[in-house]
Amino acid sequence: MTCREAIDVLADYVDGTMPADLAAELERHLAGCDPCRAYLATYRTTRALVSAAAAVEMPDEMKTRLRRFLAAQQRR
Amino acid sequence: MSVEDRDLLARATAGEAGALETLMTRYSARVYRLAYGITRNAADAEEVVQDVFLQIVNKGGGFEGRAALSSWIYRITTNVSLNKRRGKHRELETSLDELLPTYLPDGHRAGERAFLVADWSGTPESELLSGESRRILEAAIDRLPEHYRAVLVLKDVDELSSDEVAEIVGDSVAAVKTRLHRARMALREQLTRRLGAGA
Repeated sequence: MTCREAIDVLADYVDGTMPADLAAELERHLAGCDPCRAYLATYRTTRALVSAAAAVEMPDEMKTRLRRFLAAQQRR
Repeated sequence: MSVEDRDLLARATAGEAGALETLMTRYSARVYRLAYGITRNAADAEEVVQDVFLQIVNKGGGFEGRAALSSWIYRITTNVSLNKRRGKHRELETSLDELLPTYLPDGHRAGERAFLVADWSGTPESELLSGESRRILEAAIDRLPEHYRAVLVLKDVDELSSDEVAEIVGDSVAAVKTRLHRARMALREQLTRRLGAGA
């Protein structure tokens, strides 16, 4: 497996949707490739950061306005 | 769609306040999160949420129920959000191609070794999610094309399967997986360019 082939399949590996035989082949490549290990580590952390950063909360005052808006629409 | 969801939707479209309140309690936060994720603007996201719930109330009675209620609501949210974004902020979005890894003919990655092995993943998450790192991350997300942001939020925040996301965004599973991978790689690249030197 080349670095290109390894990086191409990282999403399935990180998401846990990769077949076991391909995962084993990828892990063999990673064991001997510093750049790909660094790529995987930072790719995985990027995913975690996005999950945290994009998990925005809807402000309470917005929920209140939504309720008012829908109540007004239902009265029409 | 489950019998309970079908009943809930029918009662909400019939104007029953309690049913609408239940729908809002269950879905408004998720609708807002996806709308904000795509539009990247709180005011636009609020308008999307209002529009989505209006569509639920007005069109819910005609919903055929082949998909799960949540998928249907996500699909409306995605469509309304993308429409809201149409023509806006294009200047911020960059081509992803320049942010994807490049390779030598033998399949190894091209570039300076110090950059290729830069690993900032050991930095505490709280540090990465604050200050300059947070600003870099938010700016990088802003620059993603909106279709990529939709997939990113549905997969990495709501943790839906690729099949579910494909149904919601109306694309193939392969296209969803490709978009997700490219989005993550583009964000990783921008973070590494700014954080890698200090790793």
